[in-house]
Amino acid sequence: MKLSLLTVVKRWTAVSAALCGLLALNAPAAQAITCEVTPREIPITLSYHGAKLTITGQTAPDDDLILKISSKPHDTAMKHYGKVGGLVWMKTGGLEFKGVPGVYLVNTTKDLNLILSETERDQHQLGYEAMAKATKIEDDKGQPAERKWFDEFTRFKEKEMIYQIEQGTITRQHGEKGNTFEIVVNWPYQAPPGIYNIDLLAVNNGKVVDKAATTFEVKRVGIIAALSKMAVDQAALYGIMSVLIALAAGTAVGAIFKKGGGSH
Amino acid sequence: MYMYLPIALTSVNYLVVIGLGLAVGLLSGLFGVGGGFLMTPLLMMIGIPPTIAAATDANQIVAASASGTFAHWRLGNVDVKMGVYLLVGGFLGGAVGVQVIKLLRATGGADFLIKMTYVVMLGLVGSFMFVESLHAMRKKKVASAAPAAQAKVAAPEKKRNGFFASLPLQVYFEKSGVTHSALVPLFLGTFVGVLAAIMGVGGGFLMVPVMVYMLRMPMHVVVGTSLFQILFTCIEVTFLQAYSNRTVDFFLALLLLFGSVFGAQIGTVLGKKLHADQLKILLAILVLAVTVKIVLELVLQPSLLLAYAGGH
Repeated sequence: MKLSLLTVVKRWTAVSAALCGLLALNAPAAQAITCEVTPREIPITLSYHGAKLTITGQTAPDDDLILKISSKPHDTAMKHYGKVGGLVWMKTGGLEFKGVPGVYLVNTTKDLNLILSETERDQHQLGYEAMAKATKIEDDKGQPAERKWFDEFTRFKEKEMIYQIEQGTITRQHGEKGNTFEIVVNWPYQAPPGIYNIDLLAVNNGKVVDKAATTFEVKRVGIIAALSKMAVDQAALYGIMSVLIALAAGTAVGAIFKKGGGSH
Repeated sequence: MYMYLPIALTSVNYLVVIGLGLAVGLLSGLFGVGGGFLMTPLLMMIGIPPTIAAATDANQIVAASASGTFAHWRLGNVDVKMGVYLLVGGFLGGAVGVQVIKLLRATGGADFLIKMTYVVMLGLVGSFMFVESLHAMRKKKVASAAPAAQAKVAAPEKKRNGFFASLPLQVYFEKSGVTHSALVPLFLGTFVGVLAAIMGVGGGFLMVPVMVYMLRMPMHVVVGTSLFQILFTCIEVTFLQAYSNRTVDFFLALLLLFGSVFGAQIGTVLGKKLHADQLKILLAILVLAVTVKIVLELVLQPSLLLAYAGGH
């Protein structure tokens, strides 16, 4: 009897431990990470001057968050300045930055370097240091170029507003609706049309523990789309139209001035 | 307040762009220059990519110079015959200049040569015009006896005519009241065309001094004829840029020309109220200011050491 009681106690302990383990495993599932963006499509109209992107979702309560918005990586050709003859600054050569995103915007809940280990930052391409390690830079002769040019590259892109790392910008709320987050991103008008990726990473103890992703599209519409298409598909007609309208506008204003008698 | 530009892929404050058009159009009507050497850097300053800025600028100059040419035509200030000779030379020179640039790019160091050509040509033209106009203005102030001053001015012209008179194909240009061999405007047009192509500008600021000092045309006819020549050059450039490079932004051009056509008319009216020497000295100051700006850009370290490939 005593043995069986012990067995029962052991079994209960084992079942309880298993249940606790299951609960612990299920905890993230209950707090499944989600990421939604509004709007899903940003129309480029005639009066377009950028947009406001609202990104919301749910995550585990204790995780820190990193949100990366980027475009598909591609090779970017640049020219660099150098001093000629020790006196004048000129464009002295070309550089090709291999596989860099055109747009790279990162927002976090805290300092990126504090919440994520270097290995993880490198693996997920988070932060300029991680990008620099992964980016090959070649000069005109195909030779590797100095690392300093990557820093110049990020400075250049930051000035264009299409590269940015902002820390502590994601706000969290813990309430009846669960553990939610929200961030409003000022989408730069300098970012070209295209499909952009949003990657949300939940971070705990210096490691990425969960991920969610979504996309949105920046798209030319209406007259902007029509003119862009015409400039490419009917370049001759576009050129003639540009000349004729300029001529008409010039002579029409000339005629208006004449009628007004302002020319003398 | 903002307008998105479909080819430049950027958004601009349209009041700023119209204002730029108005200011440069005013200079165009006043001096007979296209204003490309001013407008392209100004557009780049507000975030327009260099290739789009240069090509679209040519499109807006079509409107401004059409407006200016029309205004000067009514005032009887366009020497069509001289304009056509210069234009033919300009087209030839442009074609030669493009080949020169290709050759230089292949051998390297083209950018340096372009910048130096810019500085030397602008510096020379600006300094010469400034000194000459200042001299003429002082002379008029000191010596109120006009006939004596005129006699002094006329003397070197006679010598010049003597040299040019030895050339074949002499043509009388009624509107300008000068006789030159047809080869002279053709050659000078070609020369300006070569330099304009190398420097990537319309060449108005070079053509005006050439007409004033080498062809000895009256200043009021120079401005009208220069605009006439610029009009046709820029029609060609606009079409070629749109067709070959797809770099003409129609909306940007519309905003610029909206300002520039009015600016050109105001400039023309203002030009009639100013004395020829005053006009020349103002243009000289403008050209010298641009020269100083380019020199500073060359000597001072740029804030960003990178630029997109494809610009100039």
